[in-house]
Amino acid sequence: MTPKGYINDLGAESLEQTSDQFLGKGVKKLVVNFNDVQYINTIGISIFTSIVQKTMEYDSTLCFTNLKKVHRDVLEMMGLIKYVKVFKDEEDALSFLSEKR
Amino acid sequence: MPFNTLQDKDFFGRQEELSSLYKRALQADSGAAQSVVLSGPRGIGKTELLKQLFGLLFWKQDRVAPFYYTVNPALLSVSAFSKTYLIRFLCQRLAFEKKEQALFYHEGMSLDGLTAHIKDRDLSWAKELIDHYQRNAADPLSALRIALAAPHRSMLMSGVPVVVLIDEFHRLQDLFTEGAPDARLVSLFEEPISFRKTPHVITGNAVEIQELPVSSCLERIPLQPLGSADASARVLSLLHANEGEVNLPPLLLRRLAGNPFYLGCIGRATSAGKKTGDNAFWDAYIQEVMEGALTLFWSSVLKSFFPDLGQRRIALAISQRIQHSSDALSCQQLAASFALTDSQAEAIAHKLYLAGIIRGAFGVFRATEDDVLRDIIDCQHKKEILAKPSHDLESELLNTLLPEKAELARFDLTLPMLRDTELVAAQCLEQLGKNHRLDQDVVGQLQIAVIEACINTIEHSRGGERKIYVSVVIDGNRLEASIESAGREFIVQETGEPFNDRDAAKIPGRGWGIKLMKRFADEVRFEKTGRGMKTILVKYLDKSARVQLEDTITRE
Repeated sequence: MTPKGYINDLGAESLEQTSDQFLGKGVKKLVVNFNDVQYINTIGISIFTSIVQKTMEYDSTLCFTNLKKVHRDVLEMMGLIKYVKVFKDEEDALSFLSEKR
Repeated sequence: MPFNTLQDKDFFGRQEELSSLYKRALQADSGAAQSVVLSGPRGIGKTELLKQLFGLLFWKQDRVAPFYYTVNPALLSVSAFSKTYLIRFLCQRLAFEKKEQALFYHEGMSLDGLTAHIKDRDLSWAKELIDHYQRNAADPLSALRIALAAPHRSMLMSGVPVVVLIDEFHRLQDLFTEGAPDARLVSLFEEPISFRKTPHVITGNAVEIQELPVSSCLERIPLQPLGSADASARVLSLLHANEGEVNLPPLLLRRLAGNPFYLGCIGRATSAGKKTGDNAFWDAYIQEVMEGALTLFWSSVLKSFFPDLGQRRIALAISQRIQHSSDALSCQQLAASFALTDSQAEAIAHKLYLAGIIRGAFGVFRATEDDVLRDIIDCQHKKEILAKPSHDLESELLNTLLPEKAELARFDLTLPMLRDTELVAAQCLEQLGKNHRLDQDVVGQLQIAVIEACINTIEHSRGGERKIYVSVVIDGNRLEASIESAGREFIVQETGEPFNDRDAAKIPGRGWGIKLMKRFADEVRFEKTGRGMKTILVKYLDKSARVQLEDTITRE
């Protein structure tokens, strides 16, 4: 998944719908690439929390890549980072997921 | 009135505090009022607030009698204090009874004179108080107890609660019976202060009051500095000018840090000068720091703590050293630098702490955050210790201030409250960061804080004008963003901190905004303005750079 621009309520809800569809189809490995994310706010991040929760309920793995430092700090402060795998880029994430059974 | 107060039109930025204290005072009627201490640095406006409270209680209601007393350093023998305290209480209490202002001016009369004055009135409680005092006047401690209990006894006998307002309360630590001051005498206030129908509102030197035994019985109400709009209005009122006609330079406004006394000094000095424009204000500031009322004020504080000239010179030199040290200094370091024993250095540093000139009470001392005080200490140090001529002092002070003046860049945006409007402010910051070659991470952090501040502002906005006013100022090593709107109040007036919004807390993710602002900005302040509410976010560019460096080292 490659969200773009501003992760606010709308941006995050759209991402939530997409992840719901994947999880509903039985996808066990999700990667969110933040490369094109310019800004995030706390409302958007709170919706991310429910994405993380659902991923855990479906026993799936959620990876974040290409996070700017400030965005990583926000996720860390809101306690989200410990429930996801963070990688420098998609390649690293995919490599990790391919090794994961 | 027994004292001068500012007119309503000149009393800026304290209406909320005044109203809150007034409501607290009226709770004495139901026996629910608690005694409080107003705290804050010198010049923040504690005395003026107390006087305004007295005026309001005296003229605007009949339920609770106000009693105002300023502790006079010349009347600190227990006998003199007790007698004056009782006479002033009775005069003001009788004045309140009949709303007779003339009675204030009878405060110099004797107890016999007062007895004669009330003999034809139905005031048995007052006669009984005077008789009780006179029967015990030979024993100073009994007389003191009776005087301090007078407001409470009058309440029991007349049924009218009393609010006791005491200014310069810290001076009571010098009360004495025979020669030497006995700080324990002030403990006799503990009982009167505890009564809920005769609450006390006290103020004075906050640091010294904190060290008195009664301080634990008092709820502390800190007074915040004036917000920039009120601070500017305070100065302009002294110039009889309106906003827009004359503008106080933002850099100077920040230097004065919302301190009403400092603002008043600069306003009066500017008004007396002949120049116009920014230079008029800067000239007034320089003159005030060199030899004006500001300097006189701090010099008199220093003199009162260090009457001996030799000690005062050492104290000034130590203050100057501490003001310019980036680290806290221990007594041992000060002793070594100034060829003193540890105990001499400790005694001087402790007095400087009590005077409010430095911070730190546990043997390690650091500078206050008061730029005006630092300028005054520098100037006095150069004048009195280094014996530099006046024109050198002026040019050196100008050199300190001018580089900051030159680097100021300000951008103002007015944004409609539309969806995602906060992105306009964030993008403005981004471009500003590029223009001024600021660290991208620093700008990114402030962007997050500004986005949250804008969202907060929109959430707390109230009808009418649906606009957000964003200002960004780059000033030397300081990047400041302020976000203002006609929002309803969302801060607790007594602490300056946001209150918990229960409704907002129910919405997922809300409640994190202020935490994020505090995480990513070096300073976060909330001010009430004429327009509504303003959130001010400050990022120190050099500090942030240091943090970045530390982060990098930690990661490595």
